[in-house]
Amino acid sequence: MTNSFGDIQNAKSIFIIGCNPAVNHPVGFGHILKAKERNNAKIIVIDPRFTKSAAKADYFAQIRPGTDIPFVYGMLHIIFKNGWEDKKYIEDRVYGMDEIRAEAAKWTPQVVADVTGVSAETLMEITTVYAKNSPGTLLWAMGLTQHTIGTGNTRIAPILQMALGYMGKAGGGTNILRGHDNVQGATDMGCLSDTLPGYYGLVEGSWKYYARMWGVEYDYIKSQFKDASWMGKPGFTLARWWAGVLAGKPGEDAIENAGTNLKALVVMGCGITSTSQNLKIQQGLDNLELLVIADPFVNEAAILTNRKDNLFILPSATQFESSGTVSATNRSAQWRYKVVEPLYESKADQDIMFELAKRLGFYEEYTRSMMMRLKSDGHLEMTPDKKTFQWPEDATIEISRTLRTIGMMGWTPERIKKHTDNWHMFDEITGAGKGDMKGEYYGLPWPCWSVKHGGTPNLYNVDVPVSEGGMGFRNNFGLEKDGVSLLSGKGSAPIGSKVDGGYPEITKENIEKLIGRTLSAAEKDLCGANWKTCTSGKLVDLALEAGLTPYGNAKARAVVWNFPDRIPLHREPLYSPRPDLVEKYPTYADKANHFRVTTKYATIQKEKDYTKEFPIVMTTGRLVTMMGAGLENRASKYICALTPEMFCDIHPELAQKNGIKNGHMMWVHSPAGTKIKVKAKYSYTVLPGMVFLPFHFGGFMQGVDMTGNFPAGTKPYASGECANTVVSYGYDIITQIPASKAGLCRVEKA
Amino acid sequence: MENARMKFYCDESRCIECDGCSIACAEAHELPAGIARRKVITIHEGIPGKEVSTSIACMHCTDAPCEQVCPVDCFYIREDGVVLHDKEKCIGCGYCLYACPFGAPQFPREGIFGSKGAMDKCTMCAGGPLATNSHHEFELYGQNRIAEGKVPVCAAMCSTKALLVGDAESVSNVIRARVAARGGKGFNSYGWDKAYKNQ
Repeated sequence: MTNSFGDIQNAKSIFIIGCNPAVNHPVGFGHILKAKERNNAKIIVIDPRFTKSAAKADYFAQIRPGTDIPFVYGMLHIIFKNGWEDKKYIEDRVYGMDEIRAEAAKWTPQVVADVTGVSAETLMEITTVYAKNSPGTLLWAMGLTQHTIGTGNTRIAPILQMALGYMGKAGGGTNILRGHDNVQGATDMGCLSDTLPGYYGLVEGSWKYYARMWGVEYDYIKSQFKDASWMGKPGFTLARWWAGVLAGKPGEDAIENAGTNLKALVVMGCGITSTSQNLKIQQGLDNLELLVIADPFVNEAAILTNRKDNLFILPSATQFESSGTVSATNRSAQWRYKVVEPLYESKADQDIMFELAKRLGFYEEYTRSMMMRLKSDGHLEMTPDKKTFQWPEDATIEISRTLRTIGMMGWTPERIKKHTDNWHMFDEITGAGKGDMKGEYYGLPWPCWSVKHGGTPNLYNVDVPVSEGGMGFRNNFGLEKDGVSLLSGKGSAPIGSKVDGGYPEITKENIEKLIGRTLSAAEKDLCGANWKTCTSGKLVDLALEAGLTPYGNAKARAVVWNFPDRIPLHREPLYSPRPDLVEKYPTYADKANHFRVTTKYATIQKEKDYTKEFPIVMTTGRLVTMMGAGLENRASKYICALTPEMFCDIHPELAQKNGIKNGHMMWVHSPAGTKIKVKAKYSYTVLPGMVFLPFHFGGFMQGVDMTGNFPAGTKPYASGECANTVVSYGYDIITQIPASKAGLCRVEKA
Repeated sequence: MENARMKFYCDESRCIECDGCSIACAEAHELPAGIARRKVITIHEGIPGKEVSTSIACMHCTDAPCEQVCPVDCFYIREDGVVLHDKEKCIGCGYCLYACPFGAPQFPREGIFGSKGAMDKCTMCAGGPLATNSHHEFELYGQNRIAEGKVPVCAAMCSTKALLVGDAESVSNVIRARVAARGGKGFNSYGWDKAYKNQ
C-alpha cells in the first residue's frame, strides 16, 4: 500500500478493482464512504460480481474474471487517444511507457468489450470520470493477484496510476488491501521462500550480512545447507508444498529438491486447508512422515487428513496472550500488549519456536543477536552482563537494526509504544502527529530512515523533503537499459534535494560526489559499502542531510525486461470460458523448477475445450463474517447463526435451467474431477453464466463429512465443503499464488 | 434544561451489511440462539441502483405502540425515551409484535409446541427494572451500558458509523453535517419518521 486508508479521504476518485473492501475491510471502507461524502469522490468498482462495495459505488462494470489487463489497457487506450496522460510525469519518472502505449493502441473499446464483457460506453464513462477527477486512488487485493497472470495484473494497475500522474501523491497511489492482521508484517519479516527478511535477496552478500547481524559465522549457516548452491534457490511455496510430497507418484509434477521429497510439515497459524486444489492438500498431508500443527483452534488440516499417526496438534496462544509489533496494511507499526498469560497449556508462537530450536540444537545461535548490541561504529558486540533477552523488545531492536532495505531503522520499541499509547494524538486522514509526536506519522510507516525520522506516509512523493517522508522511485535495476537512462529526470527529486534529478543508490563510493563534500577519515570509517549494509547508519544520515533518498532516485519500470512478459499482457485463464480467444491470448509455456516444482500452463490450456463439460464461470471470495479458512470464526455461535452453511451464489436463471431450487443442495464439479456439495443461494449479484463460492468452510471433502476427526469438544459450530476443493490447477507465473478467481465448473442438482 | 430524548438512526448511505452491530449485540448480552434483538437487512440485493442495507431493532418509538397494546402493562418508558419492559410481568402473548412497525419483539420458543416465553427486545443497552448492573438484570436483559456511561454496543461496534445512537440533538447534528456534505441528499434511515414522528 503506497498510501493509507486515511489518505483515501484525500482522493477525488477511487478505483476499486479486484477487491471488495465493504466486505473484507469494513472499517477501512468507512474512509471510502467519507471520501464520497466529504470530498465528493467518485467511487468506481470493477468486479465480476455486484458486491457490497459496488452497491455503494457511483460507477460499476461487471467484468469477466481474469480480464483486468484488457480493461485497463482499454482505459489507457482512451487516455492516450485523448491526451489525458500526465506527459511530464511519464517523461521524468517512468521507463518504457512507449511499449505500453503501443499495446494499448490494440485495445480499442470494441475489442475490450468482446474480451471483458463490459460495453464500450461503460468503459468510456469510467475512464473519463477517473481521468478527470484527480487525484485518483487505485485499490486492489486478491481479485488481481490470484490469476496465472496475477503479476501482470499488479503491474498494469500502477502503470495506469503513473500514466495519469496519480502515483506519489496524497489521495493517489496504489492501495493494495492486506487481507488480515499483520500480513504486511509477515511479508516484511520474510515469510517467503525467495527472500531473507526485509526483502534481502538470496545472494551471498545478503547471507553474509545476515550472518553478521545474527552474530554467527557465514560458514555455520552454509553448513546447514546441502551445499552452498541451495542458499540461492527459492524453496517451496504455501501454494504447492504438497507437490514436494507427492512428486514421483503417477501424474504428479516433477520437483527439483536435491533428490528428495518433503517429509515433514510444521504449520503455525495458517489455514492451509483453504488455498487451492484441496484434494492435493489432503493427499500431501496423508503422505508426509510427520505433521505438526500449532494453532489456537484445531486447524482443519488435522481433520482433512486420513493419517492415523505422527500428527501432532500444539495449542498456540492468541494475539491477546502475546505482545510485540504488528504492521498495518499501510506499513505502519503498532504495539500489541499482552492482555492475559497464555491459557491452559498453550504457548506463544515464539516459545514453540524456541523449544523446537533447543531440540534441534541451535537455540543459542537462534537467539544470540538478542543478547548483542550495536556499537556506534556499526559493529555488534555481546551486551556486557546480559543474562537473558527481553521478549519481544530485543527482537524488535534486532529487526530495527537489521532490516535496512525497507527503512526499519527508526522502529524502536519505545517509539512504537509511544505512538500506540497516544494514538488519539494523530490526524485521522494524514496520520500526522501532534504535540510530542509532531513531525511523525502514526506508526512510523516505513521507510522510517532513522530514530529521528517520522516515517513515510505516502510512498514516492517528491513534493516533500526526504526528511519529512519524501522519496523518488528506487534505483534497483541498474543505471541504464539499452542506452536509455533509468534515473529520473531533472526537477523530479524530492524537495530540498542536493541533486536536482535522478541519482543512483547511495554507496560509500558515490556519497561524496552526491552530497558535494569530502568526508573526513573518521566519517569514512563509519560508512559501510552501501546504504543497505551500512550498520552505523552513517550513509543514510549523510543522504538525509543532503535531502537524498538512500535508495536513489530512478524511474519506475513499465517494462520489466527480465519477466516472461516485458509489459503486462492479457493471457486467457488455463480453463478459459472463451476457447475462441485462447489462440490470440495464449497462456505461458510450462515452467520447470518454479519454486522447485514444474508448473504447467500451456499443457493444461491446450488439452481440450473445457467449456463443453464445464460451461459455467466460477469465482471465489470472502464473506464479511469470516476470514481465511474460517477456523476461529466458525467457533463463534453468533457468527455461525448468520452464515451457518456453505453455499453457492447462483443466478435464478442458471439455477432453474439446471433444476436447482433455492435452498436446496447442489453439486459443483471442477475440470480437475473434484466436486463439492453445497446449498444453492439464489442471487442477482452474479451473472447467469457464473457462480460464486465463499472459501471459509471446511470439515467436508467431496460430500464426505470428516468432522468426526475433531478431538472431543473442538468441532466448530459450522462446517461445510471448501470452495478450494473445486479450484483447479493454475498458479501465477512469477509468485506461484493459486489462480482461484477465474475457473470453470458444472453445476447439477444434488 | 429539557431531558435528552434517545434515538437510533441508521445511515443507509453508509450501512454495508457487515453485521457488526447484530453480532456485537448478541455477544454483549449473551443472547440465546434464535433471539435477534438487532438485524441487518438488505433489500434488492444485487440490483444496481436499488440495493439498500439497513440495521433494524426496537426504535424506542415516541408513543410506543407496544406499550399501548400490552394487556398486562409490562412496558415502561424512561424519561429519556428508552422503551423497556418487565420480563417478569410479560405473559408472552405477542400483542406487542403485532403492534410493532419494525418486528422488534423476539420470543424464545420453548417446549415441543414452541410455546412462547417472555418477550425480549433491544433495551438500548439500558438493562431493565431490576437493580442496575445486578446479575439478575444481566440474566434477563443483558448489559446495562447506559448506566456505566457507555454507548450502546451496536453503535459502538458499527464499522462505518452508519448506526448512530444518542440524544436526539446529537444524532441530528451528525446527520445534518453528513447530509450537508452530500449536497443536501442522503437523509435516509428506514423507520426514522415512523418511529419519532418528527418529535
